[in-house]
Amino acid sequence: MSLYAQIVVNGLMLGALYACIAVGFSLVWGVLNVINMLHGSFIVLGGYLAYFAWLHWQVSPFVMLLAVSVGLFLLGFLLQYGLVNRVVSQPVLTTLTLTFGLDMILYNLMNVWFDATPRRISLDLGRLDLNGVIVPNDRLLAMLLALAMTGVLYLVLRSSRIGRAIVAVRMDRDAATLMGIRVGRVYAITFGIGALMAGACGVLMSVVFPITTNITGLLLGKAFVICVIGGLGTVPGALVGGLALGLIESVAGNFLGAQSAILVGSLLMLVLLMTRPTGLIGKRGYQ
Amino acid sequence: MTPKLIRTALLSALLMGATALAQAQSTIRIGAPLALTGGLADEGKKQQVAYDMWLKRVNAAGGINVGGTRRKVELITYDYQSDEKRAQQMAEKLITQDKVEFLTAPFGSGHTKVVAGVAERYGIPVMASAASSESVFDQGYKYLFGTLAPNGGLVDSMIRTFTAQMPTVKKIAILGREDVFPRSMAATMKAHAEKAGLKVVHNEYFPVGALDHSASLSRIKASGAEWIYITGYTKDLILVRKQMADLGTTAPIITMITGPAYREFIDALGPLANNVSSATWWHPSSQYKADDVFGSTKAFYDEFVAREKHDPDYVHASAAAALIALQKAIEKAGSTQGAKVRDALASLDAMTFYGPVKFGPNGMNAGRDLPIIQVQSGKVAVLYPQAVKQADLVAVR
Repeated sequence: MSLYAQIVVNGLMLGALYACIAVGFSLVWGVLNVINMLHGSFIVLGGYLAYFAWLHWQVSPFVMLLAVSVGLFLLGFLLQYGLVNRVVSQPVLTTLTLTFGLDMILYNLMNVWFDATPRRISLDLGRLDLNGVIVPNDRLLAMLLALAMTGVLYLVLRSSRIGRAIVAVRMDRDAATLMGIRVGRVYAITFGIGALMAGACGVLMSVVFPITTNITGLLLGKAFVICVIGGLGTVPGALVGGLALGLIESVAGNFLGAQSAILVGSLLMLVLLMTRPTGLIGKRGYQ
Repeated sequence: MTPKLIRTALLSALLMGATALAQAQSTIRIGAPLALTGGLADEGKKQQVAYDMWLKRVNAAGGINVGGTRRKVELITYDYQSDEKRAQQMAEKLITQDKVEFLTAPFGSGHTKVVAGVAERYGIPVMASAASSESVFDQGYKYLFGTLAPNGGLVDSMIRTFTAQMPTVKKIAILGREDVFPRSMAATMKAHAEKAGLKVVHNEYFPVGALDHSASLSRIKASGAEWIYITGYTKDLILVRKQMADLGTTAPIITMITGPAYREFIDALGPLANNVSSATWWHPSSQYKADDVFGSTKAFYDEFVAREKHDPDYVHASAAAALIALQKAIEKAGSTQGAKVRDALASLDAMTFYGPVKFGPNGMNAGRDLPIIQVQSGKVAVLYPQAVKQADLVAVR
């Protein structure tokens, strides 16, 4: 019995991390119609910043969460404002090429600055033992923070002025312009929020996961799968997609073996693409 | 033919002749495709450092003695960005445009195979310092020579040593990465463990892109394994060890191939690295007196530490040894002709700071007593071979 409970707990922990990986990516894709190839590198950058702050100045990664969030928001804002906005109304392949190129620059800069050595913040926060079901504290904390951040983003989008503007632009760019919304600025803020979520996720990951530049592509791939499963452009979509993928990989990994876990997740993505292209809870028009 | 045309033709013939002469007389050119950026950047840089240390020593001594005249060595390197296709292109370019006489192979079994294929076509000897899978060396390549010993050698002495020191250990769980080297190390262990009378209670591979191992580790925990044996690359091993601690999956023996051989592994795990064991191809505490540019293991170690401020690992040592073997073969052949040096390599029997180098019929360095190591109190201790043993196997708590 406790093995089954453990499988579910493992899946939820992993799923929260996945949700955190995908939420920024999903937002940018849904609102800007930009496939942000930089996303994986943003996550790794956040992880590295937290790692080096901890290594050199013993700054707790949970303090760095704030600093990295601000930093990555500014980076994302400036990139969108200065570069991506110039081509944002072009076909999606143009913006994809631009972010792909930017990703190559950032990726190789990180390789030069930090090397590709896998690094991890070796904090030991212990674990909870609930009747034989083990919950690692650092993953639990990361999961709670991921959920909290995702929740804040949800509230911001629903009830703040800028949030409503973002949603309006997502629904109809031209109508939003007519209503006096400065679309360029909204785009830049959205891209900044996407980068912020990625950086924050990187900080959380650096506690549980070895950070190396090698994983940028892997993270980006996960974000893709999660967005397709959950549905694009909405915060709940990324959350549902992440948790679903985490649970599926955990259950499949247990019953079919580790080799099949990723396969099953990808199969689900294919089936959804054919039968429900909006994702599990996506809205029409965002397939 | 107009006089002008004749002049041009003469001049270009003269120039070509002069270039050829200069090349023959001056330097020996060795081409090195290196992964300086991309996924293997760390490993590529390790090879680069070791090659450079060798190069400085050789040229300080006036170069390599080729049939009585000393010729300096030039190393031409390209960054192949950890990309297999680029590695192939760079090898072609080095041979056809840069006119190198010898090549070094990139990091890892997969990329080595690609470059060896190119070198074979042109009859250029290629020195592999970081390929240990026999599937690279059983392709019939005549010009490929590798300084690492076959994978099987790593496993055998480990089973003997561990079961002798902990005779109660009967059940082993194996988890390996689905990739050339880790897969081969996992499969070898399964075969050898069964032969040695151990019961394999868990045997599984995980895919290359795995970001989570909790499912496998939960089941290994339930299997009651007394020896947990994991193969993978440093990033995987760090994650697996961390998740083992998270889930309370443990055993008296935890082996991670080849985690403890890398400083990065110990740095990233801190106390969790303690008592993790591994096998490796080389460890600086195995001291050899050598007849090479370094003279002894200690001399290599000291120079390396002074330069890089940390300990060398087997990648550094093997890379330097590969070029030492090449140097010895050139000196023995008294020539830089590919075929002659190739024959000299095949019959080479040299003692280097890295240990004896003697290539078998498939071009791999013959197996010898490979060190078994364990992290003890944050430091690497050698458990085997007997001659350089520093400690006994300690059980993981």
